Amino acid sequence: MPSVSSQKTLLYNVRMEKNCFNIFKTFFKIGTLLLGGGYVILPLLQSEIADKKGWATTDELCEYYALSQSLPGVIAANVSIFVGYNLLKSRGAVSALAGLIMPAFLAIILISNILAKIVNYPTTQNIFAGVGVGVVVLVILTVKEMWGKSVVDKFTLCIFAYALIAALAHLSPVLIVLSCVFMGIIYRMNFPPKTSHNLDTSCPQDNERKGEA
Amino acid sequence: MIFLELMWEFLKVGVFSFGGGYATLPFLYHISANYGWFTSKQLSDMIAISSVTPGPVGVNVATFAGFVTSGILGAFIATFSVILPSYIIVVTVSKLLKKFKENKHVQAGIYAIKPAGCGLLAAVAVKIFVDNVHGAGMYVLWAGLLLFSLKQKKDALIYLGISAIAGLAFGLLGII
Repeated sequence: MPSVSSQKTLLYNVRMEKNCFNIFKTFFKIGTLLLGGGYVILPLLQSEIADKKGWATTDELCEYYALSQSLPGVIAANVSIFVGYNLLKSRGAVSALAGLIMPAFLAIILISNILAKIVNYPTTQNIFAGVGVGVVVLVILTVKEMWGKSVVDKFTLCIFAYALIAALAHLSPVLIVLSCVFMGIIYRMNFPPKTSHNLDTSCPQDNERKGEA
Repeated sequence: MIFLELMWEFLKVGVFSFGGGYATLPFLYHISANYGWFTSKQLSDMIAISSVTPGPVGVNVATFAGFVTSGILGAFIATFSVILPSYIIVVTVSKLLKKFKENKHVQAGIYAIKPAGCGLLAAVAVKIFVDNVHGAGMYVLWAGLLLFSLKQKKDALIYLGISAIAGLAFGLLGII
């Protein structure tokens, strides 16, 4: 299995150069496709950033998402700033954020009047009912990808189950994330990792990137 | 003065709204009640519009509020203000993470935070499934799309395109 996925990664990787313009362009596309709810950012990042460009790994996205949930502000923006910063420091963060926000900004300025008129047409509603279903599928796919990278043993399985149930019970995401971090620290103090196995270097994409640098 | 007020109010939204997207709504209703920049009817229309325009709801509403109160400059100031706190906080956290990456407690936290993120997203999947998928046609679309996507991985745009066309077709056939 791992060899298949790494081959796939290699196939996808056109190795677009990490410069401000490319980051802006990529996030502009993501921002344009970001319809109905900020969490759609994750499937889009998985597709554009992880699969196509290899600019971040799935488990990094997972980490950024959890962190973004526990920080104030708009989640899609937070995750984008994390990805951008990791690519090219502050310049990357600004480029990613500008790319993400620009389509939203232009859409409201230019077409919100027209949209206000068409948003209640039955046809428009039908189209967006359909898109809603597509979004559900995208989010499920992303959960599947993230599961593979984050749920690696019994402890992480428990954390996953706890976060899922607590979120469904409407517990604040801030509290969920903080309590998970706390449990992780307590767990690791009692059961330190057996080998020098480090989660960060277990991913083939990461190794490639290090080899490149 | 209106610019300073816009800036101040949307900075507050940026700093105090935890949990993203709809967590900004209580603040926006508060702004609507206190300043009258937009009515609560406009705000609920805005939320509907936001779901068909690109971008997160919080950002869309900030742009809209700025735009209706004082034109493009207002729109820019409100949008900038709502994301400025995010920028400062996230960049700071990123720096700290890089600096303390080798620390074993930080590693333990990251080890636990990943499945937590995955669990939170799984909860989102459950919620939006309940909200968005009802009626036989939608179940069929959902199952078909899921099977298709598990077989071959395509660009997110393709799935969204297929589901938009299916929604349109279901509407025309009257099975929505």
